[in-house]
Amino acid sequence: MDHLSMNRRMALGAIAGAFGMTLIPALARAADLAADPTASELGFQPTTTVFTAAQRAFVAAYSERIVPTTDTPGAIAAGVPAYIEMMLGDWFTGNERADFIKGIDAVEAHAKTSRKKSFAKLKAAIQDEVITEVMNGKVPGAGTEFFYASRQLVVSGYYSSEIGMTVERVYLPVPGRYDGDYKYEGRVFTG
Amino acid sequence: MQDASYEFDAIVIGSGVSGGWAAKELTEKGMKVLMLDRGYMVEHGDYPGEGKGAWELPFRGQTQKAKVESDHFKARFGGAEGSDKAHYFNNDRLNPYAYDEGKDFRWVRPAIVGGKSILWGRVSLRWNATDFEANKKDGNGNDWPIRYDDIAPWYDYVESYAGIAGNKDGLDELPDGQFQPPHPMNVAERWVQDQFKSNVPGRHFIHNRVANMTEDKPEQGRSRCQSRSQCARGCSFGAYFSTQAVTLPAARATGNLTLIPDSVVTSLEYDEAKKRVTGVRVIDANTKEAKTYRSRIVFLCASTLASVQILLNSRAEGRSDSFANQSGTLGRYVMDHIFRVSISGEVPGFNDMIEYGRRPGGIYIPRFRNLRDDQKNEVDFVRGYGYQGGAGRGPKWPEGFGADMKEQMREYGAWRMGMMAFGECLPYRDNTLTLSPTKVDRFGVPLAVFNVTFHDNEYKMMADAKQEGIRMLTAAGLKNVKAEQREHVPGDAIHEMGGARMGHSPQESVVNKWSQAHDAPNLFITDGAQMASTSCVNPSITFMALTARAADYAVKQVKANII
Repeated sequence: MDHLSMNRRMALGAIAGAFGMTLIPALARAADLAADPTASELGFQPTTTVFTAAQRAFVAAYSERIVPTTDTPGAIAAGVPAYIEMMLGDWFTGNERADFIKGIDAVEAHAKTSRKKSFAKLKAAIQDEVITEVMNGKVPGAGTEFFYASRQLVVSGYYSSEIGMTVERVYLPVPGRYDGDYKYEGRVFTG
Repeated sequence: MQDASYEFDAIVIGSGVSGGWAAKELTEKGMKVLMLDRGYMVEHGDYPGEGKGAWELPFRGQTQKAKVESDHFKARFGGAEGSDKAHYFNNDRLNPYAYDEGKDFRWVRPAIVGGKSILWGRVSLRWNATDFEANKKDGNGNDWPIRYDDIAPWYDYVESYAGIAGNKDGLDELPDGQFQPPHPMNVAERWVQDQFKSNVPGRHFIHNRVANMTEDKPEQGRSRCQSRSQCARGCSFGAYFSTQAVTLPAARATGNLTLIPDSVVTSLEYDEAKKRVTGVRVIDANTKEAKTYRSRIVFLCASTLASVQILLNSRAEGRSDSFANQSGTLGRYVMDHIFRVSISGEVPGFNDMIEYGRRPGGIYIPRFRNLRDDQKNEVDFVRGYGYQGGAGRGPKWPEGFGADMKEQMREYGAWRMGMMAFGECLPYRDNTLTLSPTKVDRFGVPLAVFNVTFHDNEYKMMADAKQEGIRMLTAAGLKNVKAEQREHVPGDAIHEMGGARMGHSPQESVVNKWSQAHDAPNLFITDGAQMASTSCVNPSITFMALTARAADYAVKQVKANII
């Protein structure tokens, strides 16, 4: 993360330089502030344990199949499993957390019954079969609403992560200008 | 001009759009000014969310759900759900207000010096000539004692300094101003604009006009918009108008400004015999220490509803009613724009084009209803509405999961054009803000109690805005045109106005044509509280112009020793 933070700090610094530091002294400060380690982990790292080791392994494997590693990193590399644990523990309310964990347990139970293995231990293709069954409402205790809720958490976690925003997508923190007739070149801008 | 019997020449209560201008104008004219704000200090550039990617913000930019529900259950309608800016908003648990069952009101408040000038939508549109005549013409509310020509030079003045980007469209219904070049329309918007010209006669599809600059103002240390679209986090570039970037530095540069944050103004001290405000009573938000500051004149710019609350709580000794309520109109005629009608549709084509950068303003469709006498029979309501919006493309949101989904997420969906109606709410005597007879807040100030509802005219207008929106976008050739009319709770538009209205006489209004209190000539109320009607355009630039105008008048009156 260090090198990317540095890039952004340099980007802000370069802009400040372009206008002259005396013109916008606050910019340098903004760059420094952003680089500071946060005083609190709340909202960045889970402050409480939500999952058992088995549930954590499930969430990692499941996330990676929702957004897999391709020509860019996947959900695990982007830290999505820890993000999900943080959101469940520190952001969602108790009922939502309990419902979500029930869903995880139901899919895991279904994997063990139908495939005789923990979900995390299955081959990727088999994991995809199981997720497809969840998506199609075929798994007792984990209906399509669990699929959409879990997919939503993985997708939002991935595309708001540093990897999702700067590697998978093209990060434009300071575009500097607006062009409403820009040629699409195969990637999505984010900022 | 300092008078030995006063600590300050002027006290400005509030530091938002209006208070900032009052402080700038008064200090530049040589007055020693004390500016008070109940919020905590945010210095220009000290903007915690600025420049951060989602992964650098708590909860990736989403304020904790429990926190929103406990502390920002009203401020959520102004943006407190974003952890990039939640720290700028009022704590609704600690600073409550009241309303009767079934009369919900959304009072979205900031918690910072600079007030809503940091958080505002930045749309800056002039009132037109008929806006000032409407009350007299259709008999709703009282006649404005000023007309467009009275305010036009002050629009020129504040626009030039603030930096407004807009196109000169030459329309009577939306007068042109002192503009920097507009933020450009994108390829889809230009197509819709062409369609309007050929297929939607009489309706204008124009650039929105926003307080985000397209040219640098090096003399103010501000640079043009960088297309980040993170405005509400605060902008170190000073690219949009805010107190921090624009009026506060100007006021400080004079050496005449004293700014004390964390100062909760509870009431004004009034001398009935002299008919003057003699002091401003303050409680320190942190220490709870009470203090009274004195000055020759006072500018009340605490924001529409807070200013009215302060006035209601200001009584001469031995009186039960506010000194500023000789007319019986104080706390009445509270208004907010209609909001919550939105229309969208797909713009066909341009699939190989996207947007680079994120633009602060989009398009505007100015009012077309009831502009001329020959339109009287077109609709069954008075006044009108305009739309603001824009076209853009978001990434596709494919179904399923896995590598295919990830690959499809690299593509953009179709261009979509979306817009929202803002409409004029009439002034009604029974739409009130009063003080609770029984409940006080943690500073001992009686809670504000709202009794504000929309009436028939507003509902008819919303229905028409929805229908016309669908009709126009369909006629323009957009596909899958959809409209939504959500429940509208007054306060929602955060364009609250009225409560201490301007008028010709002390019998019918709280302030005169110079924003000067009839019952205390050394008091000026220059924020939204003074508004006698709302027009349908976003109000801030009008508050700026009226404030600068009032400050000019006030200083002349002081110099002439009249007040």
